[in-house]
Amino acid sequence: MYTFICENNIDGIFTGVYDAWASRYGHKNIRLLSQPPANYELFQEYITVIPDCNKSEKVARTLKNRLGEEVHYLICQAILANELTTRKGGLDKADCVYRTIVLGLAMNDGTKVLQALGEPYVHRVFELSRATEAESHHLLGFLRFSELENGVLFATIHPKNNVLPVLGEHFTDRLPMENFLIYDEVRRLAIIHKAGKHYLIADASTLNQDIIKRYSEKELEYRRLWCAFFDSIAIDTRKNPALQQQNIPKRFWKDTVELSGTHNEKIP
Amino acid sequence: MHITESLSLMDKLNILSDAAKYDVACTSSGIDRSGNGKGMGNTLAPGICHTFSADGRCVSLLKILFTNECIFRCAYCQNNCNTDVPRASFTPDEVCTLTMEFYRRNYIEGLFLSSGILVSPSYTMELIYQTIYKLRNIHRFNGYIHVKAIPGADPLLIEKTGFLADRMSINMELPTAQSLRALAPNKSRTTILKPMRMIQSGITQNRYDVALYRQAPHFVPAGQSTQMIIGATPESDYQVIKVAESLYQNFELKRVFYSAFINVTHSSQLPALPGGPPLLREHRLYQADWLLRYYHFQADELLSETRPDFNVFLDPKCDWALRHLEYFPVEINRADYKTLLRVPGIGAKSAKRIVTARRMNRLDFADLKKIGVVLKRALYFITCSGKMMYNTKLEEDYICQNLMRDKTQIPKEFRHSGYEQLSLFDAEHLADFGINANKCSSLL
Repeated sequence: MYTFICENNIDGIFTGVYDAWASRYGHKNIRLLSQPPANYELFQEYITVIPDCNKSEKVARTLKNRLGEEVHYLICQAILANELTTRKGGLDKADCVYRTIVLGLAMNDGTKVLQALGEPYVHRVFELSRATEAESHHLLGFLRFSELENGVLFATIHPKNNVLPVLGEHFTDRLPMENFLIYDEVRRLAIIHKAGKHYLIADASTLNQDIIKRYSEKELEYRRLWCAFFDSIAIDTRKNPALQQQNIPKRFWKDTVELSGTHNEKIP
Repeated sequence: MHITESLSLMDKLNILSDAAKYDVACTSSGIDRSGNGKGMGNTLAPGICHTFSADGRCVSLLKILFTNECIFRCAYCQNNCNTDVPRASFTPDEVCTLTMEFYRRNYIEGLFLSSGILVSPSYTMELIYQTIYKLRNIHRFNGYIHVKAIPGADPLLIEKTGFLADRMSINMELPTAQSLRALAPNKSRTTILKPMRMIQSGITQNRYDVALYRQAPHFVPAGQSTQMIIGATPESDYQVIKVAESLYQNFELKRVFYSAFINVTHSSQLPALPGGPPLLREHRLYQADWLLRYYHFQADELLSETRPDFNVFLDPKCDWALRHLEYFPVEINRADYKTLLRVPGIGAKSAKRIVTARRMNRLDFADLKKIGVVLKRALYFITCSGKMMYNTKLEEDYICQNLMRDKTQIPKEFRHSGYEQLSLFDAEHLADFGINANKCSSLL
């Protein structure tokens, strides 16, 4: 048995898929892991995969051509998911992606591979992909920008899955003429968008924590207006905190303006 | 009516969002439009909820009235000309600035602009038109706009507005013409249905125009919706969903919203509701509404003249299934899509997934669970490869008794709200819905 240990990102796993396939050990004898195992097993050969853009590009191209754009997109989304928060102890992400691709390429019509939900690994890919999709859709709404002194829009998020690529596409399309920055504090990555350009994702571990707290003059006023609107739009006779919490889970509250409970303190 | 001079923007926002809160529609759905690279904004067909207010309702649009200085006197409305509430009006520029600044900060998905009737319906419509004209053309706002068409306004103004808005709506207010006459003397069935018909034919016409010229402007691309107040007048559920059904069929509406009546004006014409607004009834109507729109049900299948109200204890689909056991059990690996849709516990999404997944391999109950079928409801009505999940009887009383044990039949928020205190759970009440009280004694 051979185990390929991949880096936990799109390039890493796609390179793993490429190497595993090219190794010709036979699909049955191969296993992929998206992170180093806790315990190494005897009679098992471990191969560490070094991410390679060319190989990953080739896999992506094959997926798009043979399995279709949609399957490619959903598999990428699954790779961005955090498998620890999506049903603990499920099948390994990289392995499921590999087996799904193998199945898809063996089918007459590979674009239908994700419909084979009866297969446990396809179902896992589907489940992971849905986790990213659901959380990014939540954040399209729950994310809040603040205007900084220099006119840049800044947002902090704490997502479970790596949703930045999805958010980047959406907000670049939505706010093309704004300079904005979306900071994922969990992964310390940020989307940087300059007016009129495309966005890029960069390492933000050295982000200046002071600048992002200096709001523009108008910022507090609009926050106050928004909170006033938020309070007056609720109907008292229908008050239902449980339903509210079910619809906007508590973990999102601290990054919003109206529910973080801090807006009152900041008002001078 | 007292009109206060020189209000701040904050005061106006407070007054006019408070005045708009009884309008139910706050959806931003129905149209996919990507950004134009220059202005600001795009829209997504499923819509986006930006936050949820303390009553648990989605906040997606900046929902405000342009003014609450209204000359109409609709008995149920807190803005009618006889009530003593502070009055205010925005200027078009104020609405534009608020929308743009909120949108930039990702607080909202767009604007929902309604209005009280200032001076005359046409005058008000003109103000609304000017506002969204500015928003679209000066501020280059490309996000979602939902506007109310004012009943009785000049049709030309409504049409011009339609080319700028994504969704338009005209409120039905009450299900029958008779109730409308009694409670809203300034409105009539005609002034409501005429513009509704006009918008509908505008949308149909526009479909051809757009097919012919790609650049042709879109007219109300996200369709129109309406809203009815439930519980202010004595109409039955059957009448309400019949009206909704005919609106969907004859006026091609995208949505009909139901709003549980809240007595804000304390007018003697209106019922006092000691148990709070009829939220459970509203919930059942929405469930039935979904059955009409996505599950190929007809209103007459759900209710009839002799059974005019929904079962309080069971959702409309379970209720229907229990009365039509001859259709069951349904074989999961063989039944067609429409048959699957009729099974309690199988929704539109899981039915689609079943149809595609069973092409690859036979499905069993474990697969169904993974696909998202709610087995605790579905198990009485389905077989997988000819076998039922447990040894259950296909018998009305038996299934009913088991389904009622399912706490989600009456959602938690209603079970603990005032609605329950109307002693719904007494034996007589159960009998009204054809439920055998002895068999359900464990529940009482």
